[in-house]
Amino acid sequence: MSKYAFWPGCVARGAAPELYTSTLAVAEHLGFDLVELEAAACTGAGIISDGEPYLQDVLNARTMAMAEQMDLPLMDICSTCVGVHRLAAEKLRDVDYRIRINHHLAPEGIEYRGLADPRHLLWILLEDVGIDKINSMIRRPLEELNLGPFYGCYIVRPERTLDFEAHPTRRNSLEQLIDVLGATTVTYDGMTKCCGFPILTTNKKNSLTMAGTHLNEAQSKGADALVTPCPLCHLNLDAQQPDAAKVIDRRLNLPILHVPQLLGLAMGIEPDKLGLTRHVVDTRNLLNKLGV
Amino acid sequence: MTDQQITIQRYNPDTDSSYEESFTVDVQPGQTVLDCLNAIKWEQDGTLSFRMSCRHAICGSCAMKVNGQSMLTCQTQVDAAAERGDPIEIGPMGNQKVVKDLVVDVTKFLHQFERAETWLEPYEDQEPPEKEYRQKVEEFDHWSHASTCIHCGACYSDCTVAGVDENFLGPAALAKAYRFVMDSRDSKREERLEFLSESQGGIWDCTRCYMCVQACPKDVLPMDAIMELRTLAIEAGHTNNHGSRHHKGFTSGVRKRGRLDEMMLPIQSVGVGRLLTGNLGAHKEMMDYTPGAIRLLKSRKLLTIAQRHGANQAGREQIQRIFDEVESEKHHHDVDNDAFGAEFETAIGGH
Repeated sequence: MSKYAFWPGCVARGAAPELYTSTLAVAEHLGFDLVELEAAACTGAGIISDGEPYLQDVLNARTMAMAEQMDLPLMDICSTCVGVHRLAAEKLRDVDYRIRINHHLAPEGIEYRGLADPRHLLWILLEDVGIDKINSMIRRPLEELNLGPFYGCYIVRPERTLDFEAHPTRRNSLEQLIDVLGATTVTYDGMTKCCGFPILTTNKKNSLTMAGTHLNEAQSKGADALVTPCPLCHLNLDAQQPDAAKVIDRRLNLPILHVPQLLGLAMGIEPDKLGLTRHVVDTRNLLNKLGV
Repeated sequence: MTDQQITIQRYNPDTDSSYEESFTVDVQPGQTVLDCLNAIKWEQDGTLSFRMSCRHAICGSCAMKVNGQSMLTCQTQVDAAAERGDPIEIGPMGNQKVVKDLVVDVTKFLHQFERAETWLEPYEDQEPPEKEYRQKVEEFDHWSHASTCIHCGACYSDCTVAGVDENFLGPAALAKAYRFVMDSRDSKREERLEFLSESQGGIWDCTRCYMCVQACPKDVLPMDAIMELRTLAIEAGHTNNHGSRHHKGFTSGVRKRGRLDEMMLPIQSVGVGRLLTGNLGAHKEMMDYTPGAIRLLKSRKLLTIAQRHGANQAGREQIQRIFDEVESEKHHHDVDNDAFGAEFETAIGGH
């Protein structure tokens, strides 16, 4: 059994509860033992560091130290979380900086030794479980579906932080997952661009223009749905989709799936258990197409 | 010699037609993408237009999109651009009007530097030094990455905000502005920070998507510069904008609950103060969020107040202690400088 220190991130425990439940559902099928880091803090998502970069590093050093103390690999289920964790891990390779940050962890009796290698569930699927095992667990091949990948920035950039050189499969991880599950990948320009969510409250028009443009492009290229490893992207692409449609003046109706929801569907898990009824953009047509 | 297929996105302004054209070039080991373009122009089609000059990644003329990503074609070897045998697609830079084939009109890009006034404004009331204006080495080391820009436009070409907003200053001009904010010889630091944080298209419009960091051939790290400008602007008190209210609201939410509080964020970004004083613009902004909130409620996405309050009970005490410690430490050290120093060292060293 594979055991992981599991950080679900705020959105999976907040406005995208279906990501959390679908993760637990597929983890059970995969035989994962997930130890949730219940006492860990938000990664800061690059927003705390807008004004307080040092504070954000302390919070993430603490989370990584917790995983280290249990001697477990750290698993994220959010592109933003994994990107921010890895950026922090990169800075904390500097010994002097780490010593300084560790002063804040000492009262809790923990220390960050600089060993963490935070990974997203999507990478863990490809690197630890492997294509062959995933293939063997498919009960409902997704052959009918044309799926657009939507990565979210932090799981594809900056490449230096994500160790793409050592792990070239990370470059097109979503396409590989879509492929092994039997579906067809729809490629489009926007698939590695920004969904717009980070500026939703600072520049709503720009934010929704971005979301709308990518959705429209994928839809017009024949995608039945998008799949994303980032719940923040999910918020802008799913929950904001009706507003994004207005901003770009197009009709949009494109369901957005989380990575474990897609995997779960192919594994034959019931849509209800995957939270597929908890989307703003209705997933019924998609499920009908699969005969579910 | 290997045959390499090159597909070029072309544009003819006389007939206003865009089309793709494929060429086959004999490629030798070590040959660059620009070498291929020259070979096509000299030996196959003299009408192909593109910019180039130095061939040493110094002049910044030959940035184009290679397989969808902006880069200097003189700095990119064919082997690095494509798996052996795969075709290479070359197109003009993005976010700018195409003049012909691979040549774009860079006026809009260069105009952003003028808007940001990216030149040195010396202290006029000071006597000039005997020899020259000096910058300390330690000071320069902190921002030297931002001084290496060659204005090739690769970052602007891939910028996700410039793609939807003509008004955005963009990564290169903002990184250059940062360079002058940091330069101790410049007299306009405060004015610059105010302009960059309060004006439209400034530092708070960046999405933090890392496209510019990835595209830059000179490791300028434009986005890191923009992020540091945010910190400097907040410290300098330029906080009457959505971006810094968003930062403040987000951070105080994490301090209280250990986690992000999505329910409160829009209210905090719009500004509790603005709402309480009856600011009409602020109330209109809040109204704009209402349909989104109703959709979230309908799809059973939002947590109840009790659930939100109960989040992260386990870590809350320690998290608040850390917030308090960092806050009080701030009054003793220049904490953020250290944090950025470490980031830039790893970023540059990691390349």
